[in-house]
Amino acid sequence: MAEEFEPKIIAFLCKWCSSAGSDLAGVSRMKYPPNVVPITVMCSGSVSPLYIFNAFQKGADGVLVSGCHPGDCHYIKGNFYARRRIALVKELIEYIGLEPQRFKMSWVSAAEGKKYTKIIQDFVQELKPLGPQKKLRREK
Amino acid sequence: MVNLEEIKKEAKNILEEGKVKYIIGYAKSSNALMAAPTFVKKPEDIDKLIWDPTCFQNLVKFLLDEKRKKAREKEPDIRPVGIFVKGCDSRAINVLLQEKFITREDVYIIGLSCEDLGVLDEKKIFKKLKGEEPEKIEFDQRKNIVISTKEKTIKIPLKEILAERCLECTSSFPVISDVFWGDRNNRSPKEPFKSLEQIESLSQEKKWDFWQQQLSKCIRCYACRSVCPMCYCDECVVDSINLAITADTTAEEKSQKIKWIEKSPESSENFGYHLVRAMHLAGRCIDCSECERVCPVDIPLRLLNKKLEKVAKELFDYKAGLDPEQPSLVSSFKDEDPEDFIR
Repeated sequence: MAEEFEPKIIAFLCKWCSSAGSDLAGVSRMKYPPNVVPITVMCSGSVSPLYIFNAFQKGADGVLVSGCHPGDCHYIKGNFYARRRIALVKELIEYIGLEPQRFKMSWVSAAEGKKYTKIIQDFVQELKPLGPQKKLRREK
Repeated sequence: MVNLEEIKKEAKNILEEGKVKYIIGYAKSSNALMAAPTFVKKPEDIDKLIWDPTCFQNLVKFLLDEKRKKAREKEPDIRPVGIFVKGCDSRAINVLLQEKFITREDVYIIGLSCEDLGVLDEKKIFKKLKGEEPEKIEFDQRKNIVISTKEKTIKIPLKEILAERCLECTSSFPVISDVFWGDRNNRSPKEPFKSLEQIESLSQEKKWDFWQQQLSKCIRCYACRSVCPMCYCDECVVDSINLAITADTTAEEKSQKIKWIEKSPESSENFGYHLVRAMHLAGRCIDCSECERVCPVDIPLRLLNKKLEKVAKELFDYKAGLDPEQPSLVSSFKDEDPEDFIR
């Protein structure tokens, strides 16, 4: 029997909230799919669109950007900038024909380990029927 | 009406008074359909200047070179540069002012309104001519264009061969100027984003097929970047200057250099380049469509930038280049920005 497709997700998590949230999920022994590769960044506002495109080029099947809830940003307003920028990236990705389901943004606070596991579970469920992302992937 | 004689008189005046260093304008070129940029330094050369729908180039790019040249000189001439601008070009100046790349004292803006018309689209004309070389063109009362080729003379209504951007233009007059000719009527095109509709209505797979087909043509000549008045970074993400690899770069050093986008013209790398360029122009592109015009392989680049212009308008109520004082699109936010896509 053919093995089921396991998507690879690159998650850019902000250091202060989402990364701590994913840690909480870990230390609380919550169960979630192992498909995600977390990359801690200092702030969701520091995620350049280039990181996102590059993740897809390097073969990510899905990309998640996660930051603090609005108003909770460690740098006061980084996540507000992120919100605008990510909205533009999302529209652009959809416009060039990449499946919009492959790119997500979320607010996860340091206390929301449960929400983080739910987001990853749902994301993996959504990506499985899409199959591997080959559109932007480098041919090497 | 824009009166060329009055413009020339004013240009002559400011040159004679020494108010400006030189004037960047348009002159006739060997190509009948395209005016060439010209630099008028002496008052006696003033008769070279022209103004008609063949003046489709965006001259604002030359202000960037001027700034770099000034930075290199020991005792630079700090007088402003006179420049001919259309509505779209004036918005480019506004964005440069907004980003503090140039100051208002650097330019003397000679604003020319396109009024109810706009500029020509060479490609549309070539289609009409079916391969014949245009030798001479004339404008018949701002309604028709009369093109003479070796074999025949044809008359085409101007509306049919105007650039796509002119048909979707909302302000055909300069929004910033020192002297101004023409009228200041706001246009309200029924569908300012009509050119996007065709692609937007496609299914996800068809959209991909379209862009894949278009962008894999790209040969990475960077003509779009070279002609863009907004692309003024000293170092571009696609070709590093500081991280350049030379003959004596060791393998170890090479391995430590991040290469976001490779130079090879492959589909994935081309998408990388064009998506990043589109993002960098979000909220800055003023829709002069020079990138599309100069593209040697005819990629509809304008449609990428126009899409983000539309998103900026619809989601954030932002329009580029209308006010040099407004904060830029991605360095500002509002509390009520949409976040329904965020979980």
